Amino acid sequence: MSQPSETPPPIPHLELKARLLLLVMVVLVAGAIAYLMYARGAFERTQEVVLIADDSEGISVGMNMTFSGFAIGRVGRIELSSEGNARIIVNVPQKDAHWLRESSVFTIESGLVGGTKIRAFTGVLTDPPLPDGAERKVLRGDAAAEIPRMIASVRELVNNLGALTGSDAPLNRSLANLQLTAEKLNGPRGAIGVLLGNDADARRLSQTLERSNALLARLDTLVLKADGIAARTDGIIAHADEQVFGSNGLMPETRATVVQLNGLLAETRNSLKKVDAVLVEAQAIGANTREATTDLGALRAEVEASLRKVEHLVNEVNRKWPFARDAQIKLP
Amino acid sequence: MSLSGPAPVPPRSTPQGGSVTPDDKVPAAADPVLARFGRAGATAGAVASAGAEQLRQMTPAMFTRTPLRWLKGWWTVAQFGAQMLVLMLSPSSYRRSQHQALYYQLHAASMPLLPGFTAMSAVLSLVIIRIVVATAQSYGLSQYALDVLVRTLVLELLPLLVALYVALRFTMPAGEAVAELRERGQLQALWQAGGDPARDVLLPRVLGGVFAVVLLAALSAVMALVMTYVTLYGFTSWGLAAYTRDVGQVFNPAATVILCMKAFFFSLVVAILPLAPDPRHDGAALQRRDEINQLGRLFALILLIEVLSLVGNYY
Repeated sequence: MSQPSETPPPIPHLELKARLLLLVMVVLVAGAIAYLMYARGAFERTQEVVLIADDSEGISVGMNMTFSGFAIGRVGRIELSSEGNARIIVNVPQKDAHWLRESSVFTIESGLVGGTKIRAFTGVLTDPPLPDGAERKVLRGDAAAEIPRMIASVRELVNNLGALTGSDAPLNRSLANLQLTAEKLNGPRGAIGVLLGNDADARRLSQTLERSNALLARLDTLVLKADGIAARTDGIIAHADEQVFGSNGLMPETRATVVQLNGLLAETRNSLKKVDAVLVEAQAIGANTREATTDLGALRAEVEASLRKVEHLVNEVNRKWPFARDAQIKLP
Repeated sequence: MSLSGPAPVPPRSTPQGGSVTPDDKVPAAADPVLARFGRAGATAGAVASAGAEQLRQMTPAMFTRTPLRWLKGWWTVAQFGAQMLVLMLSPSSYRRSQHQALYYQLHAASMPLLPGFTAMSAVLSLVIIRIVVATAQSYGLSQYALDVLVRTLVLELLPLLVALYVALRFTMPAGEAVAELRERGQLQALWQAGGDPARDVLLPRVLGGVFAVVLLAALSAVMALVMTYVTLYGFTSWGLAAYTRDVGQVFNPAATVILCMKAFFFSLVVAILPLAPDPRHDGAALQRRDEINQLGRLFALILLIEVLSLVGNYY
């Protein structure tokens, strides 16, 4: 058969070149597949970390978990747990697993720009390593969620600021007063004028100060006089000391007087003993006298009886006597 | 010119595709002017360029026939594609006797394209990489530059570029050559001589187109990845682990499957559509093809596949 367009010009080493091209394509495709499998972690031995989060918003399968900015794991699966939490299963290659320890903390952060990030923090690298399949609560830091709250706070702040800086606001009036005060401070009366408010008081205070100065000067002279008096008092005290405690002072003489008094007392004691003896005797005399007195009583009774008899006799004589004197009393 | 062949319908595949049988009778085929007019009626540009005489001869019946012919044309293309796919998967297509033709078409489809395409894709990749990296850095988002680059370049732009490049440089000229063969009746002659034009003439070209698309797509993707790495990290190896990890994140299973399917369908469309019989000739009037029209159809199909892949990736 005739095929004019199917009879191409002969190409040297056509088969070799075609086989080479086929080989290149196979190598490229196979290499790309192998590289992608490696990049997807198909050849890595991994262990699992289960992160428990309130919600899995922003988390997608395949996203990285970073440690100090380096990706050390990727999300393999996201499940809903029986408690209603999101279970994020992160596959961590075993060669990177040593960065995760028992005390590691995991966070999910959502920035304003860009996707959500899962981060791991390990404070103590000497803690025991995190076991395979360990479950950890994850802390959520959501910048976007903070914005409404922040805006509410800022609005309140702005309102307060507006109230503070209004024309009739207390702060404004305080500032005006402060300005007046500053002017007064710079005025002739200065700080005293500011403190007292009016000029009369300020003048009075000045006078008071002057008087106080005069008083202080007088007090000074007074103190000097007191010093002189004190010096003289010192001399007097020294003299009195001499007089009292000196060799011819009061105290030695007093001591001699006391000695003499002691001798006098001894003599007095002897005299008293003699008096005692006299008294004893006097006592005996008294006893005798008391006896004599008892006898005297009887004697007296007898004397009285005798007298009564005499009297009776006299009376009898008088009655019987004719010259008896008129004993009668005549009344006017 | 005429496709009418021997009375018995052969059990083998036909050179033009399943819908065309040797018994087809085409009334307009006798008048080349009318045939040309019929083709021109399909496009407004052709109508505008048509002479006053042709305009006068245009009848509404021609417009009513157009959607039907359009559907029939795509049906022809689909049948041709199915025939090529069957042939591709048949071991008999790869007998030793076929090797020479296969090698020749593989070589012709890829080797002349390789230097030009490599240079072009390298320059284009470099420009896009620089633009994306500089923009990302200026916005302080350089950590997302790699993701954007891999997605735009490797997943979307480069496969599209490869498909169009191969179509323009290899399969459309090959389709032109095949149309010429059909026009001159050489395929028919081969058929009558006991050969199989579909297996011997068309399949090597289709395989060459598929091979060229896959080879160039893989090559440009690898080049883009290497250039991205070098642009981001320089000629060092310290960023390799982080780079690999980021690339791995982009190529999740869904994206990888979609990329593979896209490359496969691109290669099929690029390799089969230009070689398929022109449906606007009613399977009979094998005129010289309207290349712009052919490119439009090709581009529409490629765009459809691209849109479907985007929908799959991002919805």
